[in-house]
Amino acid sequence: MSEIKPLILIIEDDPQTRRLLKTNLCNRGWRVIEAENGKLGLSLVKSDSPDLVILDLGLPDIDGISVTKRLRQLSDLPVLVLSARSQEQNKIMALDAGADDYLTKPFSTGELHARLQALLRRVMRTASSMEIFQTGDLKVELARRKVFIADNEVHITPIEYRLLLILIRHAGLVVTHRELLKEVWGVEHIHDQHYLRIYMGQLRHKLEINPARPRYLLTEIGVGYRLVDDEES
Amino acid sequence: MRKNQPGSEPDHQFSEIMLSRSRRSDRLQGYIWGIAAPFICTLIDWPLRHVLGPASILMIYLLGVFLVASRYGRGASIIASFLSAPVFAFYFASPIFSFAISDLENIIGLGVMIVVANVTSNFVERVQLQADIAKQRENRANALYRLSQALSEAQNRQAVARIAVSHIYDDFGALSVLLFPDQAFQLHYPSDPPLEHSLKSSNLKIAQQIYQNPTALQTEPKDLINYYPLERSQLIQGVLAIQSPTDSDLMSPELITFFETFLSLISQTLERLRLTEQANNANLQAETESLRNALLSAISHDLRTPLTRIIGASTALIENNAEFSAEENLDFNKVILDEAQRMAELTSKMLDMARLTAGELVLHQEWNALEEIVGSALNRLEKNLAARPVRTLLPDHLPLLWIDAVLVEQVLTNLIENAIKYTPEGSPIDISAELLADTIKISVSDYGFGIPKGMEEKIFDKFYRLESESHQGGVGLGLTLCRAIIEAHGGTIQAVNHSGKGASFIIHLPSRDPPQFNWHEGMEA
Repeated sequence: MSEIKPLILIIEDDPQTRRLLKTNLCNRGWRVIEAENGKLGLSLVKSDSPDLVILDLGLPDIDGISVTKRLRQLSDLPVLVLSARSQEQNKIMALDAGADDYLTKPFSTGELHARLQALLRRVMRTASSMEIFQTGDLKVELARRKVFIADNEVHITPIEYRLLLILIRHAGLVVTHRELLKEVWGVEHIHDQHYLRIYMGQLRHKLEINPARPRYLLTEIGVGYRLVDDEES
Repeated sequence: MRKNQPGSEPDHQFSEIMLSRSRRSDRLQGYIWGIAAPFICTLIDWPLRHVLGPASILMIYLLGVFLVASRYGRGASIIASFLSAPVFAFYFASPIFSFAISDLENIIGLGVMIVVANVTSNFVERVQLQADIAKQRENRANALYRLSQALSEAQNRQAVARIAVSHIYDDFGALSVLLFPDQAFQLHYPSDPPLEHSLKSSNLKIAQQIYQNPTALQTEPKDLINYYPLERSQLIQGVLAIQSPTDSDLMSPELITFFETFLSLISQTLERLRLTEQANNANLQAETESLRNALLSAISHDLRTPLTRIIGASTALIENNAEFSAEENLDFNKVILDEAQRMAELTSKMLDMARLTAGELVLHQEWNALEEIVGSALNRLEKNLAARPVRTLLPDHLPLLWIDAVLVEQVLTNLIENAIKYTPEGSPIDISAELLADTIKISVSDYGFGIPKGMEEKIFDKFYRLESESHQGGVGLGLTLCRAIIEAHGGTIQAVNHSGKGASFIIHLPSRDPPQFNWHEGMEA
């Protein structure tokens, strides 16, 4: 982390939740600014240029999806979306609108910290291009396009590598089905979910000891995939 | 009542028409035989004219007449007997080749013959009439039987109307239509697509009059349609409009009785449907009522318990904070966390259930890999699983499933959660899958105490909890949810006790051919 503590903007209408989040984040040493609605939130993004935004999807004035879209027009700062359970469709819409990850209410402090860390790391990563990605026993040498499990090289196909690469770029964060399909196969295939299932299956079989209980390539049912980032904890 | 649709012959055109028609062709045949018989007898007699006396020859004629009478009845036999007389006189009675008869004996013989012909044919006619009547009765009994059989299977008014109209057409050859009242007691012509043999128009005004006052005039002579109330236990369920017979003579009293029986069968069926519906409504109401009560008591118990603990722990923390050690402090906080989590789980289940029972269960089916769903469910329960060994036995090349991944994951999560709750700590959990002919069988098995005998189905009931588990959290909705979800997918879920001592939950999901995977396309990008 840099010397200056990251500045986090919380856009949330419930004062109790806001207070809880603030206390939690301040204890971690992060700086926090708050907004109780979308309009104020957007103006704070412009005036204070925070490092990260925590956005509640159920805001009284503008709906969360629209806020996400406008945020994206303003900057590419990381956005973490908070949503109630049973809103899979909302989550996906927010992610596709440009949010970087989501947390389902109710969540624990541990989960919140892990997500925020992953998000902030992603920003750092794009800044300094990574040479080697390592999580647990999985190591990927990006320059040489080589994949190792416990130092044994694993041969993977170009498509599998592309999938893995996208997940590495978002390590610790969720990547939606749509995004993966678009990045690997192109926009015309964003509905061909079965491509993804088959290739992710293959990748899991190559990288996981027990593909039915994966350690690295996690499935976020109904949303997408997440590559576990070891440094999270 | 007669058919008026040219070209379409009903299957069981009934009684009068058929009988009279068949008799007409019979009669023609009879007359031909009546004329032919005397000549045939002559041919037989002629070579024997020197051997036999006139009396014996006359006997042959008598036989001929008798046969004709017995087969074709009076008309034919009278022709035969009256024709036999001149033929006999001409060929056999002296003087031969003249119509004159000199012998008194022969005259008496001829007289006897005519009397025999008459008496025999009377007998035959009577027997035939009785046979006809019996046949008619049998036909009617059959028709009623077929109707009652068909009606017994009718589950709604539309089905009754369909059956009634087609049977009326088959058995009376008449077009008809059943008019039912709406909520405001106004009769309507059925809005469903018209049936093949339904009456295309009817006078709703007359029908309405009859519906309101069944003793009112039943026919409007002009439009040749009769209206009959479908009445049962003083309640009119509807009105039947049927084409009037154009030949009134075809409406014999017996046919009317038959028709009335027909009507009463239809009315009875409508009454049965009405009573069933009433009973169902009552049941539904009672069920909703008891469901509401069960839900209220479950909620009040299951939400109040954690709330009590949370309030207890937090007030203790606030009021006596100074006196607690760090350890005690942590303990109280843990209680609050645990109970809050239990409440969160509970409320989300209740929400799911509410969504499912509100008929909002919309499946977002996609091609999904079972392995991913199992992996996700296990990941979700990682904390609860702790050190439990979980064995996943999934075949390597299981085809993709056309399922709603979120909901099926919910099912697996519920089942694994149950296994964790109700089996001793550290006992293993198995998750396996198997590809069968046209289903995929998924089982979640534990090694606990199994399900008490006879409870294998009961545990899927709403709010049902085993005695032994009442101290556990949960409202008894988990398995109900599972079943609702699996059944929405066209699958089944059952609970059994497996031989290895423990419970198995077995799911069968229909397997469909996955889409052709275009490897070229897949590789292209």
